[in-house]
Amino acid sequence: MKEYKIVGKGLPRVDGPAKATGKAGYTVDVHLPGMLYGKILRSPYPHARIISIDTGEAEKLPGVKGIVTGKELHNVRYAFVDTPRYPADEQPLAVDRVRYIGDEVAVVAAESEAIAEKAVELIKVEYEILPPVFKAEEAMKEGAPLIHDEQLEGTSSWEQWGVAQKKKSGEAKSGANNISGHSRVSYGDVEQGFKEADYIREDVFDLKATAHCPMEPHAAVANFDAVSGTLHVWLSTQGIFLKRFFLSKTLKIPTAKIRVHHTYVGGAFGGKIDLFPYEYCAAYLAMKIKRPVKIELDREEVFMTTRQRHPMTITVKTGLKKDGAILAQDIRVIADNGGYRGSGPVVVFLCHGFSYPIYNIPNYRYEGFSVYTNNPIRGPQRGHGAPQIRFSLDSHIDLIARDLGLDPVEMMLKNVRVQGDVLPNGDVLNSCGLSECIEGAARAIGWKEKRRQFSTAEGDGRYRRGVGISVCSMFSGAMYYPFASSAVVKLHDDGSATLFTGAQDIGQGSYTTLSQVLAEELGICLEDVHVVAGDTDLCPIDLGSFLSGTALVTGSAVKMAAADARRQVLEGAAELLGVDDINELDTREKKIFARKEPERYVTFQQAIQTGVLRKGNPVIGIGYYKGYDKTDRYPSLAKGKGLFTGAYGFAAQAAEVEVDTWTGKVRLVKAVTFHDCGYPLNKTIVEGQIHGCASMGAGQALSEEIYLQKGQLFNPSFLTYRLPISTDTPESVEGIVASLEPSGPFGAKEVGEGSVAGILGAIANAVHDATGVRIKSLPITPDKLLPALLEVLV
Amino acid sequence: MMMKKNIHLEINGEIKDLTVDVNRTLLEVLREDLNLTGTKKGCNQGECGACTVLLDGKPVSSCSLLAVKADGKSIFTVEGLAPEGQLHPIQQTFNEKGAIQCGFCTPGMILVTKQLLDSNPSPDEQEIKEAISGNICRCTGYVQIIDAIKALSDVTKK
Repeated sequence: MKEYKIVGKGLPRVDGPAKATGKAGYTVDVHLPGMLYGKILRSPYPHARIISIDTGEAEKLPGVKGIVTGKELHNVRYAFVDTPRYPADEQPLAVDRVRYIGDEVAVVAAESEAIAEKAVELIKVEYEILPPVFKAEEAMKEGAPLIHDEQLEGTSSWEQWGVAQKKKSGEAKSGANNISGHSRVSYGDVEQGFKEADYIREDVFDLKATAHCPMEPHAAVANFDAVSGTLHVWLSTQGIFLKRFFLSKTLKIPTAKIRVHHTYVGGAFGGKIDLFPYEYCAAYLAMKIKRPVKIELDREEVFMTTRQRHPMTITVKTGLKKDGAILAQDIRVIADNGGYRGSGPVVVFLCHGFSYPIYNIPNYRYEGFSVYTNNPIRGPQRGHGAPQIRFSLDSHIDLIARDLGLDPVEMMLKNVRVQGDVLPNGDVLNSCGLSECIEGAARAIGWKEKRRQFSTAEGDGRYRRGVGISVCSMFSGAMYYPFASSAVVKLHDDGSATLFTGAQDIGQGSYTTLSQVLAEELGICLEDVHVVAGDTDLCPIDLGSFLSGTALVTGSAVKMAAADARRQVLEGAAELLGVDDINELDTREKKIFARKEPERYVTFQQAIQTGVLRKGNPVIGIGYYKGYDKTDRYPSLAKGKGLFTGAYGFAAQAAEVEVDTWTGKVRLVKAVTFHDCGYPLNKTIVEGQIHGCASMGAGQALSEEIYLQKGQLFNPSFLTYRLPISTDTPESVEGIVASLEPSGPFGAKEVGEGSVAGILGAIANAVHDATGVRIKSLPITPDKLLPALLEVLV
Repeated sequence: MMMKKNIHLEINGEIKDLTVDVNRTLLEVLREDLNLTGTKKGCNQGECGACTVLLDGKPVSSCSLLAVKADGKSIFTVEGLAPEGQLHPIQQTFNEKGAIQCGFCTPGMILVTKQLLDSNPSPDEQEIKEAISGNICRCTGYVQIIDAIKALSDVTKK
């Protein structure tokens, strides 16, 4: 791996001091003079018609400054997915119907939170209860209550950019049988593949909803400047430009009249990218009342109303040759997206998207449905489909290996894709360290020594150990609004630089890694870089910190901007040094010198001053990069056609577990992740992403579960929704595989998302290795494992 | 009208005389009246540890303590750790070891670390894990936080 001066080093985060001292300002810390506080009245019923709303008593309460109900906003619609095929189905406040417990019904703005809360209690709503449905499979049956029977017209957000997919006549109406999204992809001849197979196996897997649990609760502050007609907002978000776009569309004001201000973001994990009713309501109230409005959700609201991971039922059938070569695979996914579409059509597409980059399968069929129910809304969550599909596929592969008497590691290595492979949709794997990841993870977990190999539960003591392995992949950015990232590098006359980027540091360290890219390319030190970020007025467009595109897409834009600034500095220096060709010059530590005579140099300061004095050029570098440089549109979610991402990150993860056969409790002893991130722009940050992903995956494998009864959330707190705590931390080993992605800055691609997915299957496979018991449902809790153990042991 | 009470707090070494509603928490008074927003509200239920402050040297969840109950006591928040513009060795080491990601749990995590090292300068790994077990971090998986605290222990420093 090439050594650089600044990238690749585990340098401390540039935002570390602000965060360590408590000075970093988050949205929850924003306080404006004269600020009002908003509270939302939510539906107590999973499915009901609103007959009437009486706000009379609430309005009389001293300190109440405004109350809004759905009637006033009846024509406002928006959604994460908004296409002609899948028209937006959400409204900021329910107009005449509520579809899950927690659905927004009314909002109050008052002089204090306490008054707003009191006013919410005084609003009287009369409901007519409608029959609900809570299971996706039941919701799909004929005669099930229809959750969305309204006639919606698609007014695609993408049409104005010319990238909308037109709905074809005769296509099933979205919402029929409660189906909110459908993906169907096939290649090769699956039936023929199964005919030629020596062995066929089918398994069904079941995954529960989980919560993101960012430590900072969701919050929004809005202030309207009536003189200029500008709306100012502070949002805890992953994507400032996407939020601005949604707000512009729903509030019907131009994007340039909305300014999203920078705040630090206290964790997001996919749960802060949708437009939420509380954000719209804060903005609407601020415009209506002409005073600043803050709405901060409490932890229960965060659990209930800010999206969850999709619960799924996944059926996998695979046909193989005796030697373990996969001939055919048939996958069927049913995802429950709750009362609104959320990211349903996306997640059922992504289950395919994170299935096919891994194994090279000649005959393949995938079908996925997302389905409306009266459960809470589901949306993107770190991995977005990858945890569910990778758990299912790699549990299934492990079972097959046992059946055939093969080593799962060898079976994986036989079937995985390699560098240069072209995926069926046309995506090319220009970098792929999958095999190296598998070999590294197997070695680090002690695969050969520790694996019990087809163990049964006989002849052991109370505590039993076993190992398991799984693999995963993740994109590095894709075509989604605003379709590209850009960067501006402004040099100061002392030779230091300010980076303007629309990317958000949500904890993943992008301010630091992007600063390192800038400093390396330009030839200055990290401490010479100042970052201005997360502000839609100050910063150029950016995809946002989701889709795992910041390192590759925004990183490429920053590298280009730095190169542009460097070229301008070199022009000034060439004149001072009397050199004709700027290619004869190099830069380091704010100095420009001739390659052949490094002792002859000028400082950045001298070169910039010369540029200003001669041409008036103070040096501003500009860079931009598309979400995916080979396409100008997003792929068809329904058919899986079209290019998807410029580069896939890969990982292999292995787990060693200890099972207490008396209690059914599983302890994760050791977690290993080998991640192909292309190139680690900052080693410490890459390791932190890997550990964080593995921890989140381990939580979802062993303890995390949104517990719903008839649509009511029973565990909306950290005491009852059991996240990993410090004492759960396993021995953690990470390996970085540098496959050097040609399109990435210094070779970098995705790291912060994929590794949440592999640890799930690794743990399930390790539990099987330890005990001979297979659990096909997550999380693997004692109530599932103990009865299964008793069957084997007694 | 909510009953008010006069209270007398020592905050980061400074004496503060305040009049507060009796139903307000110490967290609310710190954040809203004293602008000490380094203390965070993560759950407001005493479960996440983001609001941790040291009360007479011991870590407490300030969201679950009424301000009037802190009357006459000494309170230490993250703002008191180092003079403006400087970093305490705990803050410095947390940043060097990658123990900070989104930063929202960081002030609380740093304060329990201070209390741990004040009372036990050479904690072993299990003692470190137990000391921070009341503080949830969703970003790091705790690995680099534990590494940072190990690096701060006397054993490592020697």
